[in-house]
Amino acid sequence: MTGGRLPSAAAATQHQREWFQEVRAAAAAGTPIAFLNADAPHEVFRALDIPYVVNQWWASVIAAKRLGPQSLAAVAARGLPDDSQQYDTIALGAQDLPAASAPWGGLPTPRFAVAERSGDVVPRIFELWGQRAGTETFLLSRTAAVPAPERWWEMVADRPDDVFGTDRIDLLAAEIRELVAWLEERTGRTLELDRLAEIMALGNEQASWNRRTRDLIASARPTPIAVTDSMPSVMVPQWHRGSRWAVEAARRLHDEVAERVGAGHAVWRGERRRMMWIGRGLWSDLELYRSFQEDFDAVFVWSMYLAIAADGYARYGDDPIRALASRFVGLTDLLYVPPMSSSWYVKEALGHGVDGVVHLVADDTPGSAFISQALEAHGIPVLEIAANNADSRSTAGARVKERIGEFIRARVPARA
Amino acid sequence: MTTAPVIGIVGNDVPRQLVLATGAIPHRLFGSWAGPVSDRAASLLGAVDPVAARILTDLLASAAGPAAPAALVVCNDSASHLRLFYVLRLLTAEGLPPVHLLDLPRRDSPAARRFAARRLQAMTLFCTEVTGRVPGPAELGAAAETERRIGVAVSALRDRRRASPPRVTGTAALGALIDALSAPPDEGTARLDAAVSDVDPEAARLHVAGSGQPDPSVYAVIEQAGTVIVSDDVDTGDLAWIGEAADGDLDHVCAALAERHFARDVAAPVSLIAERAAGAERRAGAAAATIALSVRRRGDDGPAWDLTATRAALARSGIRTLDRTITGAADLAGIGDELRALRSGAVAS
Repeated sequence: MTGGRLPSAAAATQHQREWFQEVRAAAAAGTPIAFLNADAPHEVFRALDIPYVVNQWWASVIAAKRLGPQSLAAVAARGLPDDSQQYDTIALGAQDLPAASAPWGGLPTPRFAVAERSGDVVPRIFELWGQRAGTETFLLSRTAAVPAPERWWEMVADRPDDVFGTDRIDLLAAEIRELVAWLEERTGRTLELDRLAEIMALGNEQASWNRRTRDLIASARPTPIAVTDSMPSVMVPQWHRGSRWAVEAARRLHDEVAERVGAGHAVWRGERRRMMWIGRGLWSDLELYRSFQEDFDAVFVWSMYLAIAADGYARYGDDPIRALASRFVGLTDLLYVPPMSSSWYVKEALGHGVDGVVHLVADDTPGSAFISQALEAHGIPVLEIAANNADSRSTAGARVKERIGEFIRARVPARA
Repeated sequence: MTTAPVIGIVGNDVPRQLVLATGAIPHRLFGSWAGPVSDRAASLLGAVDPVAARILTDLLASAAGPAAPAALVVCNDSASHLRLFYVLRLLTAEGLPPVHLLDLPRRDSPAARRFAARRLQAMTLFCTEVTGRVPGPAELGAAAETERRIGVAVSALRDRRRASPPRVTGTAALGALIDALSAPPDEGTARLDAAVSDVDPEAARLHVAGSGQPDPSVYAVIEQAGTVIVSDDVDTGDLAWIGEAADGDLDHVCAALAERHFARDVAAPVSLIAERAAGAERRAGAAAATIALSVRRRGDDGPAWDLTATRAALARSGIRTLDRTITGAADLAGIGDELRALRSGAVAS
């Protein structure tokens, strides 16, 4: 039988809506909230009971509501570029949208904005957040991927120093301690290390469920859940990482997937081409992922969100701050810097029995060519599309749907 | 003729004293405003500042030839340079020179200084592996002396630039600095000392902001339009990190240079908007600039974020700013009329 929407996906989306309104209510009542980049150490804020909203998640909501162009126009109206790292930018612009058109009632003014100094633009975007009334910015250093070992997924949870280098982790750990002091000074709260350790343990437990889920999906034929379901089922809990709710959500996802595999559910009964989507989610057009099933029997079976949740987040260690630093010191590099990234995508593609890859290449991600080359070297055809996932102007210009259709027809043979 | 190994430097974070002390010549690789970008370089790098793509194009072309540097040090001072490093690291197996990343943070703290000092030591060790010479206090002292001589020449050049009227054009000063950053030290010092020009005392004193200047071609066009560039925010000009040196053994020198790294102004890619705007106001004011031109290269994202704040900061000092986004010098045709109008106050900045 063919499965409908995964209950855990619907539950995650519903939870997020309710949670966001709770955040709005808390902010209205005077509780300081934080606006964090995806690679900031969220767990510190959870341990200090500071509600936080993640830039990339909020950008995905804005994009899904088709408010990306208006948000970018608001950025341009302030004399800033509207064609530079739009995924990181649109939340800033959305703050200037009229209240009536802001998604989900709008993001309350954050008390804190925190990001890493990554690339040329992200630090500036967060600097501008800190220039808005009521918001202060803290920027963490972002060191580069030296070393960059292959097969990092076999080491990273227990031996992160071997993957990222001791000095890099030590620096970020020191800066996280500075961040904690900065927050304590402004909130009057005190970080309890035992509480942070508990949050880290819950995050590890969540990652272990995600690993089991990923492994189930990798070995299942046909694929039991749509990537458009796994994205919210994984990422909403990811933004609540370190909470009991997030662990239960990850376990629920696992159990639903196991049940579907056992019952022989299929996203598409006639699955003959298994597709991998490398790159950020196409939030402005999620229906695109399903739109090749009928014509091509092509099913997207993989996106990075579950896979990196499975392999990238777990960190063990006695010092919770250092473990936290080792979680974030190079998380993005695992996805984008070769040979770490390329070897991982090959591992995942082979493990999932992928027949073809669509590789959405963003302006700000390095090493794309090496990822594509590595996959092609293993006989897996790759279509590279240069576009910005959160900017519908960009994806429309890239003719994403048409090009994927042409690619499948020309380069991805159907299985017997 | 020198027989010392040449180490190619990409970026503006390397204290040259450390490279010189290992017996190598630091040779900055700049790329250029114009020139080809090979298909392979474009494919490997993706969307980057085209200047970085031209550096890779040149390195790929010279990989097996006598012009290839013995080794490369790339600074993590822009997204494009970091991406270039990631590519070069994978190409060493194809015969490109060994490459090392110098990764100096921008946010000052005791931990960051320790980290930076260790990165400087690691870079020195990398250079030592190329030359075979371990720098002790004597080698570091000699290199410091050499570098300080260059520093004196750079300081004098900057004074000539800011003089009223200037005694060197911006184009000549930029050319001399670029040469000094890529030549053996004594040649570099001579080149800096020789940079003297007759400047029209009526030329408008101009501050240049925006993208880095890998060669003087854009400055030449700007100065042909009745201006003299007396200050800038570019890492081959006023912000070039050259002439810096410290005393002691390697531990002390690296610690001191790390400390100075956090105290210096840095160029567009890794600056924050407020730092950039304040730096422009300070430098343009010190040079008595009367108008400003922000030149952003297509493909270089950072400066676009700075423009509004920089314009406002300069306006506080009564300096009006014109801005242009260009691919190369040819896109500045007609800039003279616009600068004259800006100077006369006929157009709003």
